[in-house]
Amino acid sequence: MKQKLTNFQLYKLLRQNDKLKNKRHPMFEKNKFAKFMGYFMIVYFAGILMLLGATLPLAFESTMRSMAAFHVLDSGFFYLLIVDFWTRFMFQETPAQQIKPYITLPIHKNFITNMYLFRNGLTLGNLFWMFFLVPFALVAILKYYGMAGVLGWLFGYWLLIVANSYIYQFCRTLILKKLIWILLPLVCHAAIVLATILPETNTLGYLFTDWLEQCIFWNPLSWLPQIAVIVIFFLLTRKLQAGMIYKEIGKVEEVVVKNTSDIKFLNKYGAMGEYLKLEIKLRMRNKPVKQQFFIGVAFMVLFSLALAFTSVYDGAFMTSFICMYSFVVLGMMTLVTIMCHEGNYIDGLMSRRESIYSLLCAKYYFNVLLLLVPFFITLIPIFTGKIEFMMSLGYLLFTAGVIYPSIFQMAVYNNSTLPLNAKLTGKQGNWVQQVVSLVAMFVPLMIEKILIVCLGTTGGYAGMCVLGLIGLATHRIWIQNIYQRFMKRRYTNMEGFRSSRQ
Amino acid sequence: MDIVIENLKKNFGEKCAVNIPNYTIHSGDLLGLVGNNGAGKSTLFRLIMDLIKADEGTVRMVGNFQEQQVDIDVKTTEDWKEWTGSFIDEGFLIDYLTPDEYFAFVAKICGVSQDALEAHLALYERFMNGEVLGQKKLIRNLSAVNKQKVGIIAAMIQQPKVLILDEPFNFLDPSSQSAIKHILQQYNKETGATILISSHNLNHTTDICPRIALLENGVIIRDIMNENNSAEKELEEYFEIKD
Repeated sequence: MKQKLTNFQLYKLLRQNDKLKNKRHPMFEKNKFAKFMGYFMIVYFAGILMLLGATLPLAFESTMRSMAAFHVLDSGFFYLLIVDFWTRFMFQETPAQQIKPYITLPIHKNFITNMYLFRNGLTLGNLFWMFFLVPFALVAILKYYGMAGVLGWLFGYWLLIVANSYIYQFCRTLILKKLIWILLPLVCHAAIVLATILPETNTLGYLFTDWLEQCIFWNPLSWLPQIAVIVIFFLLTRKLQAGMIYKEIGKVEEVVVKNTSDIKFLNKYGAMGEYLKLEIKLRMRNKPVKQQFFIGVAFMVLFSLALAFTSVYDGAFMTSFICMYSFVVLGMMTLVTIMCHEGNYIDGLMSRRESIYSLLCAKYYFNVLLLLVPFFITLIPIFTGKIEFMMSLGYLLFTAGVIYPSIFQMAVYNNSTLPLNAKLTGKQGNWVQQVVSLVAMFVPLMIEKILIVCLGTTGGYAGMCVLGLIGLATHRIWIQNIYQRFMKRRYTNMEGFRSSRQ
Repeated sequence: MDIVIENLKKNFGEKCAVNIPNYTIHSGDLLGLVGNNGAGKSTLFRLIMDLIKADEGTVRMVGNFQEQQVDIDVKTTEDWKEWTGSFIDEGFLIDYLTPDEYFAFVAKICGVSQDALEAHLALYERFMNGEVLGQKKLIRNLSAVNKQKVGIIAAMIQQPKVLILDEPFNFLDPSSQSAIKHILQQYNKETGATILISSHNLNHTTDICPRIALLENGVIIRDIMNENNSAEKELEEYFEIKD
């Protein structure tokens, strides 16, 4: 006699499969180490948020005497949600919907999508802002409304963050479909920011304050907007994802090659030209790769333009941070998973002599050439005297000659294939790659500051140029070194690539 | 080019995938590898091409290449890639290229000129049946049969002295099966290349392979000289299911 599983039993079974998937992932051992590193980073950021949470109420009270500190935060809570929304792009991927193996089993087709969406809403990551909000509430609310008020306010904010996570899920899914959808959150956020800044009276701010104050009193009506947003965006995302997943599994989408005789000028570079073409086509003909690439380029251009034309990032630290970021962001997003896409055809590559070396060289040339984009854009703030020429040149060469060689080391260790054409049914990145991204983002700043302290501003940037030039000049040597180390690990890597192919 | 296998062993956990004490595939051999699923055919091919690590033993390629005597262990050098063409499965294909682009890519990195490539592709016109070239379709959007054809043709672009094809008759319709049989025999005859193919199709294997190795649990249990299809009966007896 057949025994039907309850939904909870089914959830447990699928959860167990997910756990096994992680445990048996080719990069599990490395993930364990990177997880350890990741925890350090979490503690570091949590410490900063706690410090901010404990000190901001005092700062608000001393500067805005007519308002309670929590009213100030409530009136501008939207800024917190905007920061939360955009940082999710760095740390939160769309759920890797491992739906394929279950598609022909007698499981309701919405069950798995629901499961991943529920899990995403209830993830511990949505509690991260509590490191900021709890100390803030203890300092700003406890004395007026006691512990019940603190808990009510925190619950209201948690609901807001969960609602924000569902809006993010929806937008991220739309963006996966077509990159142009990135304008939706951009325009909405800009509109709300303008609505709070432009009018003489910040009516919206007052509305927010009144609404969130009701959370303190545990007024259920104050939760309704959040719950409504959660339900609406849950359903919208489910509908959107379900359509995309079935399209992906059915392989309905076909790339129409309009022009196959392109990039002819690379023909004169022989085999290297072919690998360069391969790199360009990898980025242009595989939707997730293309999207990741264009988002990276968009960030690169946006940061450069912001630095050139606005005063948003004035101040020495932010200027150098944004300048550096406009150079590093693309590599940070696309190179940490170096070789993972090639895992799909690694056997073909490995049966050709020194193909991995040539491929790595082509990847390097391609990425270094792209660095000229932010370099040319930053010529504008250089001419207006906003940043020094040496700063831009220093970051250009430092990225090409130091940061890229460091990220390229991942080519030796990455051994998990990333699907070329699956977006929602594909796999997520891993901890190692996320830690490397963070290191690539902050270590150059530290090196810059150390060099400037030791050698002065111009001397510091000159030092970065020298380090970068050394890396550039010796690129064949260090790429050869990476290639040789890759070849030593070839059996492990090939096995990993094969076993993680979809 | 001779392929010399010595004391070659590969286990997957407790299971022995390949265990071959001594076996030489001579220059110019057209060797068919037969055996049931799990007999170790693909594993042996991957070991010959250094795509997986052997637990013990060596695979050497010995012979003449560009008028020089060579004797190399495949795991210590990449030289063998200069004269070896292969197609095992889709993991060999770069599926976001069109067949035309893929052939051009392989030709370029193997040092084959555009003219030579065009001449090469002309030989396979009947085999491609007008469904492969000039379609403006990515390899990933081709049918299984056409992917198989792309893989086989690409493996032969560099005019290899050693050609390794795993299950080349799979997916192919009868006309294409006949075409590939003819192509392989012709290529072997004209170039003297060493060709290794594996197949579950005994008829095709005995039709074209003068030498057949029968694998069971990773061991070559019979090395059969096949003259005028003489191996057919022996193989049929072996594979016959008896109660």
